[in-house]
Amino acid sequence: MKQKNKVAATTNWPLTILLILGCLTVIFPLYMAIVIAFKKPSEMTNDIAGALSLPKSWSLENFAEAMRVTDFWHSLGYSVMITVITVVLAILLHSLAGYAIGRSMAKSKFYKFSYLYIVSGMFVPFAILMMPLVKQTAQMGVDNWVGVILCYLVFYMPMNVMLYTGYLKNIPIALEEAAFVDGATTWSTYWKVIFPIMSPMHATVAVLTALGTWNDVMTPLVIMSGTGANTLPLAQLTFQTQFGTNYNLAFASYLLALLPILIFYLVCQKQIINGVVNGAVK
Amino acid sequence: MKKRLIATAIVAAMLIGTVLSASGCSSSASSDGKTHITMLQYKPEAVDAFEAMEKEFNATHDDIVLTIESPNDAMTVLKTRLIKENAPDIIGIGGDVNFSNFLDAEILSDISDFEGLSLIKQAYLDIDKNLEFVPTDGVYAVPYVANAAGVLYNREMFQKNGWKIPTTWQEFMDLCNTIEASGQQSLYFGFKDVWTCLAPWNALACDLAPADVCRQVNKGETKFADEYQEVAEKMLELLDHAQNDPFAYSYNDACTAFANGEAAMYCIGSYAVPQIQSVNPDMDIDSFVMPGCDSEADNILNSGVDLQFCVMNDCENKEAAYEVLNFMLEDSTIQTYLDNQNAVPCKDTEFKLSPALDGMLSYINEGRMVDYQDHYYPSEMSVDAQIQTFLLDGSVDKFLNKFDTDWVRYNRDIIRKVQEYEAKGGNE
Amino acid sequence: MNKKLSRNQTFMLITIPVLALFFCFNTLPLIKGLIYSFTNFKGFGSYDWVGLRNYADLFTDGRVGKSYLFTFKFAIVATILTNVIALLLALGLNGKIRAKSALRGVYFVPRILGGLVVGYIFGYIFTYILPAITGGSSMLSDTNTAWLAIVIVAAWQSIAQTTLIYISGLQTVPEDVYEAGAIDGATGWKSFKELTFPLIIPFFSINMVLSMKDFLMVFDQIMALTKGGPAQSTESISYLIYNNGMGGGQFGFQSANAVIFFIVIVAISVAQLNFTGKKEEQL
Repeated sequence: MKQKNKVAATTNWPLTILLILGCLTVIFPLYMAIVIAFKKPSEMTNDIAGALSLPKSWSLENFAEAMRVTDFWHSLGYSVMITVITVVLAILLHSLAGYAIGRSMAKSKFYKFSYLYIVSGMFVPFAILMMPLVKQTAQMGVDNWVGVILCYLVFYMPMNVMLYTGYLKNIPIALEEAAFVDGATTWSTYWKVIFPIMSPMHATVAVLTALGTWNDVMTPLVIMSGTGANTLPLAQLTFQTQFGTNYNLAFASYLLALLPILIFYLVCQKQIINGVVNGAVK
Repeated sequence: MKKRLIATAIVAAMLIGTVLSASGCSSSASSDGKTHITMLQYKPEAVDAFEAMEKEFNATHDDIVLTIESPNDAMTVLKTRLIKENAPDIIGIGGDVNFSNFLDAEILSDISDFEGLSLIKQAYLDIDKNLEFVPTDGVYAVPYVANAAGVLYNREMFQKNGWKIPTTWQEFMDLCNTIEASGQQSLYFGFKDVWTCLAPWNALACDLAPADVCRQVNKGETKFADEYQEVAEKMLELLDHAQNDPFAYSYNDACTAFANGEAAMYCIGSYAVPQIQSVNPDMDIDSFVMPGCDSEADNILNSGVDLQFCVMNDCENKEAAYEVLNFMLEDSTIQTYLDNQNAVPCKDTEFKLSPALDGMLSYINEGRMVDYQDHYYPSEMSVDAQIQTFLLDGSVDKFLNKFDTDWVRYNRDIIRKVQEYEAKGGNE
Repeated sequence: MNKKLSRNQTFMLITIPVLALFFCFNTLPLIKGLIYSFTNFKGFGSYDWVGLRNYADLFTDGRVGKSYLFTFKFAIVATILTNVIALLLALGLNGKIRAKSALRGVYFVPRILGGLVVGYIFGYIFTYILPAITGGSSMLSDTNTAWLAIVIVAAWQSIAQTTLIYISGLQTVPEDVYEAGAIDGATGWKSFKELTFPLIIPFFSINMVLSMKDFLMVFDQIMALTKGGPAQSTESISYLIYNNGMGGGQFGFQSANAVIFFIVIVAISVAQLNFTGKKEEQL
């Protein structure tokens, strides 16, 4: 134990510095995005200075205008609602499916087939599903946010089931057997033993699913058309019209939309690291 | 046991489905005794104007409630609404190949009995008529506003240097040489965005090719290789005057460059003026008709319907829809639109137009104009990308031969319809 | 059902509804799309049956053939590039470094930025900044280099996700594995190759499949950077399916394209999974 602490205390400085230098590949474009978000269209010129020089004033006007144009709080509400419900349901449903399938696929043809069936669904181009899905959700009366969530639950199922079954391969079955001996059912064993152990994977799934739903334009565009409701990415289409794009407002708006999901990621990231501790303590 | 289990599970899944469908909020039919008219228009940038119109209409009409929707990516939205069988009553779309396709799919209603049509400039009614794959007896759209394309120029630069507006191809090329000799950039292109390749192409084709070339080809009367030869050659001549590597710059880059005085002229349509003026609000822009011909008298303005209204087949109350259209055509309503958007009204009345159209005004007033050629091209043929390919490659013959082969391939069903129609005797 | 359910029954009760849901929102619409592939449907209005014409056209369409070549060239290079960098990055970010959270946060940002922002910024970098540094012309205007520019941007964006999956995979490697290894004298490359990598092979195969799939279906970056140009050299399969199917009037034809494309990717991925699956079993 003592030795372990000592190892953890030594920082690998060359690696840290290397990684910080690598950050430039992200920080440089991000810097451009931020600078452009503060500029006026008249400050944009076709040379290096146009994108790199600092804005004349650091006014928040673009951000305020972008929030007005996109009806920010309203659109944000829809985005948050759809994303949160999707993520929660995805974690519950996909982890269960991953568990049932992952634990049985080695022995049973049916589960092996189910696994391949679901995973292959990932490769269906959305464009071919789009029109039939629009019709189907309208017929079912779910051509609104409910339908969007149902679609997401299915779209992200292949990836998430893959991730969960992959993770389960490294979780020894002996952990469950101990619970069985105590007379617990598979169902309760799952929730008491397996589900908590998979928390790093829950966090990963949450981040990936949230990202996909947060940025997605097409699904809400086609499914929710005619309901008058907008998610943030839908509202952001306003900045691109047929013959003109207001990049400055658009950038301000995109930066605003980036913040909630970045915070969510950082929170989940902690969970991934905490998961290790839990795993180690077991 | 296993079977029963599966059955239980399926029932459970179905129950979940039912509960979910019930929870979906359905739009309830109105019970206020009024007629409801929904309009979906495809220009989200004009949303403010349409909101004002909607308000004005509802304030002056007691028995009809008008709802105007201006969604983003409206064409996709419209297509999904059609699939959902939840189509709006009136659609506001462009006079382009989408209109032809909608017409061909038999989802638009004949409005030849709408009296307001007599108020529209004949040139625009003709332009819409030409968009029909197979000529019909009916009228299916009310042209509302148009835009025009040719060459935009920096009026200040022209005045300062004493340059004259060219009226023939020779004068145009000479002018480019003069500008370049003075150390300035004559033309700027944003060919990275392939659709901008169509702007000079369309404008030249108006001057140099028959207006109904596509229909002639569909009938089997001619080939593009013959009709577009000169257009293609002059495109290459234009390219000689472009900035360095025009394929690296986007539409937005070109607008910015032109706005900042980096080039004297820009071959694009009047629709680009707002984007240019967003960069340089004080810029004095004017335009002239693309001088593709050897004599001024042969030049024709490139103008097409930018927004038109169509009544859908599913519209239950056509009378009310006409009432809405009548309102849209009132001078004050059109003025509301013009104040908000830079456009050319299709109604045959004098309106004050943007100064950027000064150089095209006489053509507009005389009705000396024909439609954008690309309004007849199927979008999946990607003629814009083919033009870009041709400009990079430089071979006129290769390009036009491919154009002819591809045309047949992408328009197979239409050509069949046209030829069936011709075989039946047509009406010409 | 007052009796306790057996393990198998529980699994069945979970799996069947999931499969039903999946069928309803994935397979059912796919079947309907398959039906459209035998028509000249435009996406709306009336249509005719055309039998196998769309499929016959598909195999003679030079543009579709070119898009397959481009897409596969792009996907293979991007998959390799992304996975190599992401694996290195994951190992680094999982190492004993300072400011771990902040660094992980920064490296994740590219994945969140929308297509419009990425397109504009990289468009700017390729059009104005890089030529100013190298003195050459824009990578995006040359048919030989435009695809590489898209590889760079696509990899830049997707490394975030791939790294995240590797990092969560690395969490399943117990600390004692390293300690045991250290006693045997395994460090650095040897420790990675013999100890770490075998344990994260499930994640390696997941990432290979996921990134291969994402890159084969590349669409956003193309829309943002080149819109298929220059000279139609960067038209991906998804670009054609979407633009000509949804945006244009080729819905039926592009449905046929999508069906064939689906079959091709499934075949590749099953092969990939089988290959890595065998590797897993060997260990």
